Amino acid sequence: MVQNKIQLEKTHRNIFPVAFASLFVPGLGQILQKRFLRGITIFLSGFILAFLIQWSLNLYNLGQFVFGKWLTSWLFVPLAVFWVWNVLDSIKLRNIKPASPLLGILSAVFILFIIAWDVTDVKPNRLVERFGDAKIVATRVINPDYLSVEINGVYEICDWKCLSVNFKNKISGLPTQNIQMSENLGDIFGRIKRVSSIGNPIKPTFVTGKLIETIAIGLMATIFSTLIAIPLSFFGAKNIMDRMPGGNVVYYVMRTIFNFGRAVDTVVWGILIIVWVGLGSFAGVIALSIHSAAALAKLYSEEIEHIDPGPVEAITASGGNTLQVIRYGVIPQIIPSFLGYTLLRWDINMRSATVVGFVAGGGIGYFVLETIRMGAYQQYAAALWAVAVVIIIVDTISSRLRENIMLDKPKSPKKPGLIGYLKPIFLIILGLAAFVYCWTITEIDLKSLFQPGPTFIQILKDFSKIDLSSDVLDLVTKQIIITILQAMLATFFGAILAAPVSFLAAKNLTGKSRLLSWLYYLTRSVFNFLRSIEALLYAAIFVFWVGIGPFAGMLALVVTTFALIGKLFSEAIENIETGPIEAVNATGANRIQMIFYAIIPQIVPSFVSYLVYQWDINIRMATIIGFAGGGGIGLTLSTFFGSLQYHKAGTVVLFIVVVVALMDLASAKVRELLV
Amino acid sequence: MLKIEHLRKVYPNGVVALNDVNFSVDDGEFLAVIGLSGSGKSTLLRCINRLIEPTSGKITWNGVDITAAKGNEIRQIRRQIGMIFQQFNLVKRSSVFTNVLSGRLGYVDTLPSLLKIFSKEDHAKVYQNLDQVDLTEKAHVRADSLSGGQQQRVGIARALMQDPKMILADEPVASLDPVLAHSILKYLELLNKERKMTVLCSLHFLDLVHRYATRAIALKDGDVVFEGLPKQIDDVQFKSIYGQEAEKISII
Repeated sequence: MVQNKIQLEKTHRNIFPVAFASLFVPGLGQILQKRFLRGITIFLSGFILAFLIQWSLNLYNLGQFVFGKWLTSWLFVPLAVFWVWNVLDSIKLRNIKPASPLLGILSAVFILFIIAWDVTDVKPNRLVERFGDAKIVATRVINPDYLSVEINGVYEICDWKCLSVNFKNKISGLPTQNIQMSENLGDIFGRIKRVSSIGNPIKPTFVTGKLIETIAIGLMATIFSTLIAIPLSFFGAKNIMDRMPGGNVVYYVMRTIFNFGRAVDTVVWGILIIVWVGLGSFAGVIALSIHSAAALAKLYSEEIEHIDPGPVEAITASGGNTLQVIRYGVIPQIIPSFLGYTLLRWDINMRSATVVGFVAGGGIGYFVLETIRMGAYQQYAAALWAVAVVIIIVDTISSRLRENIMLDKPKSPKKPGLIGYLKPIFLIILGLAAFVYCWTITEIDLKSLFQPGPTFIQILKDFSKIDLSSDVLDLVTKQIIITILQAMLATFFGAILAAPVSFLAAKNLTGKSRLLSWLYYLTRSVFNFLRSIEALLYAAIFVFWVGIGPFAGMLALVVTTFALIGKLFSEAIENIETGPIEAVNATGANRIQMIFYAIIPQIVPSFVSYLVYQWDINIRMATIIGFAGGGGIGLTLSTFFGSLQYHKAGTVVLFIVVVVALMDLASAKVRELLV
Repeated sequence: MLKIEHLRKVYPNGVVALNDVNFSVDDGEFLAVIGLSGSGKSTLLRCINRLIEPTSGKITWNGVDITAAKGNEIRQIRRQIGMIFQQFNLVKRSSVFTNVLSGRLGYVDTLPSLLKIFSKEDHAKVYQNLDQVDLTEKAHVRADSLSGGQQQRVGIARALMQDPKMILADEPVASLDPVLAHSILKYLELLNKERKMTVLCSLHFLDLVHRYATRAIALKDGDVVFEGLPKQIDDVQFKSIYGQEAEKISII
């Protein structure tokens, strides 16, 4: 009682200074009350919103509004709402009950949404008006170039219609056309070469296809990054480094390196690497390996930090030294989770391997880029379907193996039979052969790492001459803003579409009837299928439909967002606790009440956290979607690269790295606060 | 003889775990350490083998100053002191054999040990010590497939690999079903009586102290509040150790 009174008096005494502080500088009142994170967030949000409003007014005449003599933007009205909320918040912070952030978040999101809609060039009418184009591209996509048929000495693609006609003729005994595998199929999967380039017959050899090359890139990158990450991860684990003199410094240095390597996306690494070793699969392998090694090392380190400290203590107590402690107390504990993370990384690396070729020039990504440039949509479609099949297979294998590893069943002590002895030997030989084969086809050339091309030094010099002249800065700033907002819109639309569907893909809600369980398998399959193709590969379809630009890129991102968010949401729903549902049901609540009181409160934090996570992922993808005509910073980068303006490309890369790293940090922080 | 003088431990967060602890233990004793949770029992035992660095004070064992030992010397001392833990501290995924073998690490060269190369004698020793705790037939199963009582016996076998002269047992039976307590403590009693190992064992239940210990000390808020024979712990002593609201309970 007495305490409450003191609290109240304090409140009355202090309202005015903090309110005025927040009125003059948003967030200052909060900072004065030692709520630093809140204050700084409010200050930065207010500053960024005001900047964006003025920027979009200058560049796009967005929200133009004449007020007396002033030309201004009506978007300053919602900003004023944000401002008022900030003052209210600083006052309410004094009270026992803090203010709801809803009004502040809503006004900020509203402003961002209006600007994003305009700069991303969202034109929903195009989706309808150009539906004819959509039909054309859809027809081509479902008739991929796999088979060809010779008509009057010219090879043509044998589509579904041609196949069905021939099939009918075959059954009714009519003459059929000579259908064979197409050249395009050979480009993708590989072909037997019987003739040399000069025309002489040679010994038949197998020439690898682009898809096989992609699989090899993903595999090699996984192997290399695992080998690099394992030793490094021990230096990034606090519980290990604390045992050594000076270990703390090493720990922080390693963790910083991991975070930097992770923040720079594979494709951006690719841009830097091609300057070093030139275009090709090898550049792709290196780029993937660097990013993946950093990501794996971070996960490994965290795993080492989370082991049961008991055995470490016991082995220390028996007189073991640090190396012995690691060998007997740490390593046996981390094997399953290390294997699990490596398998997960293999899955991710395979997906990245399908797009790294867009910049690094190797694998199916490069092939897709070429087909898009030539407008060869049936060839493009053939690649797309092939990628989907491979990724779905990889995904299935990886998740099955991970499930088994996580169960971590003890091996049966029975003596293995002859097959039991031969199996590992057979697997080792098979693995080695695959390794050597992949090594050859990804053209791994360790020497070239130490002998960069003659122009390397010159290009590197140009690159590091980061051009900060105002016209370049203006352009890059504009494109970066478009990229970030494009990613935001894509996250928003993807999530809106995915949220209702995700309930159908949750096993605990759909097990009831046969129809529902069919819907469960259907939605799950749709999610998995759409997820198997990267947004960069989808972009070409939307470029054809709505035209080149950020809108097309945004739509491509919506597709992948829909699939990934749908999957994550449905898993969040599956993971809810049944206790609260039981408790609410026991009070006599009906089904709707149960959903509102027992299910929604449980899933909202994870939904929001996934949204932030997805925005982060989408920004990474949006930075390169311009390579496929999807607008944003990727377009600028590919233009500067194409026209050999390396000093300007350097500026772009720097911006991308900074923005991606900042967003990564912010999203991690937000998710930490949410969960 | 183990002699502890003015031992003090203050954790970085300011908690005074041990204030000023003084006592000594003769060779061949079975000393019970009693006290409430948080009274400093675990800290005390871990200061003796320097798993925890004491803030100040001196610990001498048979004339060797444990508190002054550095680097390799600490490991030389540790390997002569076996330790048994409340949570057994086995590597659950490793076999019983490997867990027991790891008790020998203080005696072997680093490089061969990293490759898991141990001498024939060490291998024989594993079976010998497993036989001592009646677990020979479980040598090659994974540690997590054993019951709690069996896991603690593996913990004892691991400690025996060190050929210890002294055993520190930190609540060895607190994580076990009470009916298993005697089976574990009987092994410790055997080692104490037949193999003349000094045993320092922290315990919760007073009747276990009466049954096994030759002497007892009690800690309260980081100080020794009782030192003497177990049977000397009367009701007044009991209340002063455990607080006025405590009631004596007993297990089987």
